[in-house]
Amino acid sequence: MTIKNANDTLNTRMSGIISRVQNEHGMVRMIVILVGAFAFFTVLKPGIFLNPLNLQNIAIASPEIGIIAIAMMIAMLTGGIDLSIVAIANMSAITITTLYSGIVATNPESAAAAMPFIVLLGLVVGLVGGLFNGFLISYLGITPILATLGSMQIFNGLAIVWTGGATLYGAPEALAVLGKSAVAGIPVLFVLFIVAAALVAVIINKTPLGLKVQLQGTNPIAALYSGISPKTVLMGTYAIIGLLAGFAGILFLTRNPTASADYGSSYILLAIVIAVLGGTNPAGGFATVTGVVLATLTLQTVSSGFNAIRLSAYEYSLAQGTILIAVMIIDQITLKRRLRAPLIKQTHTAPQLVGK
Amino acid sequence: MNLSTLTNRDSLFRTLRGPNNEGILAVVLIVLVIGMSIVNPAFFSVGTLFSILRGSIVPLVFALGVLIVIISGGIDVSFAAIAIFASYTTVALANNGGFDPGLVGVVLIACFFGAVLGSVNGVVIAFFRLPTLIVTLGTQSIFRGILLAYVGSRYIANPPASIDQLATTNVISIVNENERAYLHILVIPVIVLALLVAWMLKNTMFGRGIYAIGSDSEAARRAGFPVVRIQMLLYTLVGVMAAFAGVLHVTLGRNANPQSLVGNELDVIAAVVLGGASVFGGRGSVFGTVLGVLLIQIINNSLILVGVPTAWQRTAVGILLIVGVGIQALSAKRNAKKVFVTAPLEG
Repeated sequence: MTIKNANDTLNTRMSGIISRVQNEHGMVRMIVILVGAFAFFTVLKPGIFLNPLNLQNIAIASPEIGIIAIAMMIAMLTGGIDLSIVAIANMSAITITTLYSGIVATNPESAAAAMPFIVLLGLVVGLVGGLFNGFLISYLGITPILATLGSMQIFNGLAIVWTGGATLYGAPEALAVLGKSAVAGIPVLFVLFIVAAALVAVIINKTPLGLKVQLQGTNPIAALYSGISPKTVLMGTYAIIGLLAGFAGILFLTRNPTASADYGSSYILLAIVIAVLGGTNPAGGFATVTGVVLATLTLQTVSSGFNAIRLSAYEYSLAQGTILIAVMIIDQITLKRRLRAPLIKQTHTAPQLVGK
Repeated sequence: MNLSTLTNRDSLFRTLRGPNNEGILAVVLIVLVIGMSIVNPAFFSVGTLFSILRGSIVPLVFALGVLIVIISGGIDVSFAAIAIFASYTTVALANNGGFDPGLVGVVLIACFFGAVLGSVNGVVIAFFRLPTLIVTLGTQSIFRGILLAYVGSRYIANPPASIDQLATTNVISIVNENERAYLHILVIPVIVLALLVAWMLKNTMFGRGIYAIGSDSEAARRAGFPVVRIQMLLYTLVGVMAAFAGVLHVTLGRNANPQSLVGNELDVIAAVVLGGASVFGGRGSVFGTVLGVLLIQIINNSLILVGVPTAWQRTAVGILLIVGVGIQALSAKRNAKKVFVTAPLEG
């Protein structure tokens, strides 16, 4: 066998193994962890934990962080990261609140009629934020982490200037009503979350853009030589992330009718934890929406379980970090073992798949 | 250095610009100072200078640690958590035990905690080769969780007398009818530390190893650098530096608040990146980092003096960061299109 052939078989075998490990393994693992966590807290505190109210709370708390995590997952799919998602979401929430309370103050009758447009405008704010990120990353060529670090400061800074650091009241009541309503015991917010997740899954798996995003993340150079324009792909990617961030901002308002510049400051870390836990490869190329949705539910279950057994938010933060690092270490060890086993039996260090 | 192929003017320009565009940053800094002085003459005073220096003490120590990590090709967001963990735990120990370990004792105890936490980062990153940003996000949340859940979440208003005494000690005090200006004594250890880090990065095998790993860790391994050992050592060292910054923070603020520091990591990273360090690793200098920290301090402390409301600080830093890295990215793009010419090889 020539060296070239050996390399080819090695590569195909490796990519096959990696995608299997990343996708199936991630999914099965998440289901096991979710069921395990659920069973664990049920055994400890059945009375509190299995209370329908608690389950509904999990379903209502999941959507906003879940949407942010899915947006983070899309950024990671292209090998990037987006630190500005929460800042964009807050801008969207602030825009909606300011406009709506302004209209209510001057012309209360037309407020209800204008509501859908105002909410739509929240999505537009998200889209603009996302396009700005896309421009910085694709046209200027700034690394995603730095571009979004800077844009996060800008969006957050503008939000501080706009609100003067205060909390804004007067978000549309209709949104709060939506946040409290349920269909057959299932909160509407949760249904919206699942619909949005399904939409993203369709975009990633069934559309040309989704395929290009995956190829771009797997190997940017190969994607370039396959005639894929990285600029268009990245613009599209960050535009979708911006839209999702705008949507997350609307979800903020359904749970809590106030908007401020510093809402959800811990969400970026949490979103990264959820994305990685859900089987996303931070170096790009591999991710599943289902995995991220399951990871969201798992972390919410753990959070509400910690509440039920009276552990503090600090202990939850400790658990988050531990879960993140433990999962990454286990992934790395199993990946090394799987890569090593079927290959030539010489000491061979696994290539660095999860880059620096 | 072989610059014979370049004309004199080019080489002079290159020298002034510096290997990581430090020269450009210095010009920006000077222009900013001149501009602010024209808008508000009160800005141009010894008092302002001293207060900017005082404000830079803690961020600069953090930035030096972040610089080392970034040169090695990583990103660290756990340093603030390490700093407050180490310093708060030390103060809490002294308070609960009812003893004063003395200045050296406080620093040693805090640095010990810093070394332990830093080596946790080192082990996870070096042995399992995991992405540094995500690992340190995880350890940040672990360190903070342990501190607040098990060490204490209570604000301590009276740190040990030995470090409290230091809080009001100044090296230079200028008091006359026009102004009162004090240069805080803690500026001195920070300057010494900056010089030490600069020397280490330039002249020691360890320092050169950090650049080598950051440029290409596989090449560094083949060239004989013990990559795992260097990474372990560097994250431990950065932990110790973070702990030291934590002690400085507690000393300057004269209180130990376990909720403080964490949340401002990105400002420090922005300063280091503005200072010319590349997030891809292998590039960066102490001089650039010092300039980057000073620039952000001037913006944060002095915008109000020229009539810009403080609410604009964050936006200003964000725009500065985007413009700074945008220019770097564009010039990198342009250079990539050119035929490769010999460039001076400097860190």
